[in-house]
Amino acid sequence: MSHDTQPAGSSDEEQGPFTNWVDSAIKNPKKVYRAMFATVAIFFLFTTLFPLYWLTMIAFSDGSRVSEGVGLLPTGFDPSSFIEIFQQVPFHLYMFNSLVFATLTTVFVLLVASLAGYAFGRLQFRGKRPMMLGVLVISFFPPAAFFIPLFQLFNQQISFLGITPPELYSTPGGVVIPLSAVFLPLAIFILTTFYGQIPDGLEDAARIEGTTRLGALFRVIIPLSAPGVATAGILTFIAVYNEFFFSFLMTGAAAQDWAPIVDGIISYRSQFQVRYDLMAAASIVAVLPVATLVVIAQEKIVSGLTSGALKE
Amino acid sequence: MATDQQPSRSRNPIKRGLAWMENLSEEAYAYLLLIPAFLVLAVIAFWPLWRTFKLSLFEDDLFGAAKVGDFVGLQNYIDVLTNQNSLLARPLIDLTGGTPFFRQALLVTIAFAVISVVFETLIGFGQAYIMAKEYRGRRWVRVAIILPWAIPIVIQGMLFYLLFNPSVGFLSGPLQSMGIFGANPLTDSTDAFIITTVADIWKTSAFMALLILAGMQSIDKSLYDVAEVAGASPWQRFRHITLPLILPALLVAMLFRTIDAMRVYGIIEASGAGCGTVPSLSCLVVDTMFGSTQAYASAATVAFITAIVIGIAISVYLLALKFSSRGSYQ
Repeated sequence: MSHDTQPAGSSDEEQGPFTNWVDSAIKNPKKVYRAMFATVAIFFLFTTLFPLYWLTMIAFSDGSRVSEGVGLLPTGFDPSSFIEIFQQVPFHLYMFNSLVFATLTTVFVLLVASLAGYAFGRLQFRGKRPMMLGVLVISFFPPAAFFIPLFQLFNQQISFLGITPPELYSTPGGVVIPLSAVFLPLAIFILTTFYGQIPDGLEDAARIEGTTRLGALFRVIIPLSAPGVATAGILTFIAVYNEFFFSFLMTGAAAQDWAPIVDGIISYRSQFQVRYDLMAAASIVAVLPVATLVVIAQEKIVSGLTSGALKE
Repeated sequence: MATDQQPSRSRNPIKRGLAWMENLSEEAYAYLLLIPAFLVLAVIAFWPLWRTFKLSLFEDDLFGAAKVGDFVGLQNYIDVLTNQNSLLARPLIDLTGGTPFFRQALLVTIAFAVISVVFETLIGFGQAYIMAKEYRGRRWVRVAIILPWAIPIVIQGMLFYLLFNPSVGFLSGPLQSMGIFGANPLTDSTDAFIITTVADIWKTSAFMALLILAGMQSIDKSLYDVAEVAGASPWQRFRHITLPLILPALLVAMLFRTIDAMRVYGIIEASGAGCGTVPSLSCLVVDTMFGSTQAYASAATVAFITAIVIGIAISVYLLALKFSSRGSYQ
């Protein structure tokens, strides 16, 4: 018996570990898929994370030596830029402003888009296609096309239908209202798609049990579309938090005038010197609240429709 | 007690409203639900667009207080399309030897949109697959993949500006020795175009990935169990279950990515390439409106032409969306 196994074992060693692996992979194709998966995962993690790693190295570099070049390690180690960003300007206030814009806009957009998405996705009515097209057409225009009329409106230079609105320039309203309109079309289309895919039977069952029409939307349709709702929420929140055009132009430059993060970051770029290390440090600090949000919200992006939910 | 409670309950306006909603026809209920969205869009979107459109029908008057002169009808549109408008922002040095500037901007915009959307869709698919699988530490992989989307555009621009800056970063050296980049990448139109496209793909693939992931997570898992029992290969499972079921979400993602890519402006300015080197249609609008000329009417004209160009591109998607929804819902 031992004679028989001996040659087989030695031939395995001759073939080397790679051939062995190929042999076992042919017998068990799942192993190949797993290896492919790991390779692709590592590739994507490297390409997304490497620029961020380099950004961190800039933040840790000595501010005056960044122009000499930054490689895989910081050029001169100086972590004080993470403190200096708060000393030069009240950067936490800029972050607070952007967080307020992002939270208010996301809540408002999700609520309004949920109602519209339910109508577009689940109800039949005349004029549906032209109305959806009307929502979409708004996204075709560069933001600059909206800017001048809204700027005049928010500065009380013109009245709308005979009413002069309160001065919204440099208030959260001056940012949240235009940005809601800018991000509403995307949210409406996402929610329309996801609400439309929920089987009718589930909603009918809830209605028969006495749930109101609105109740069915909030208790059945929205929870079952959790991946879509969470995605629309994350996309809107992050986009508003980093929004550049309206939040920059509709507010003053100081933190107490509701200036967004962008204003804070730009303030490290003076006429004589660009402090790349401070800009890098500030952006890393600014990303932290968003990263926290993603950690929490991604829990919702899991299969909402289990096989149990579909067996009506 | 019971008789006291009954009328007070029906006097509660919320309950009365809900009861009234129950009795509406499906069509009336749909219109009711759409009122908030259209109210916001009317005031904040349709009304400003209408004013901007009216602006585009007038002549520019750069020296007048109102900045707008006589009514000229569609003359501005004709001038821009035939390259006779002298007020449009132009690059300082004409690099292309006399190609009409509007046509240049159109070409840059379309090339940017096609290249970035194709790559973002492919990469987004790969990333979504990785985020969808269940394994230990998935939560952190998801955060890592979404993180570029959370980087402010100013920093995204700075990051790629520095990476390709010959003295600070280390990417332009090897690329130059391979002969891909010229001596100063950010002032060369082709190189700067590649840099802005790569920067955009790096950041916005996460957008595609998130939407595709949400689509994948809405698929009933038991379909895969059935397919596995029936002996379907992973490719067959992808081709016959995943792809058709995520198609609506995928088309929405591609639709909005295409629209966004065709309005590209921020990353061009933020990466240091600048509108003079990589002129897009949005660049043309912003530079004409806020630049030294402040030709509002010309800027409004280009904004509407941009919207029309995007509308033509999008009608292709809308046809696809129409066919895909016909296939899966009806």
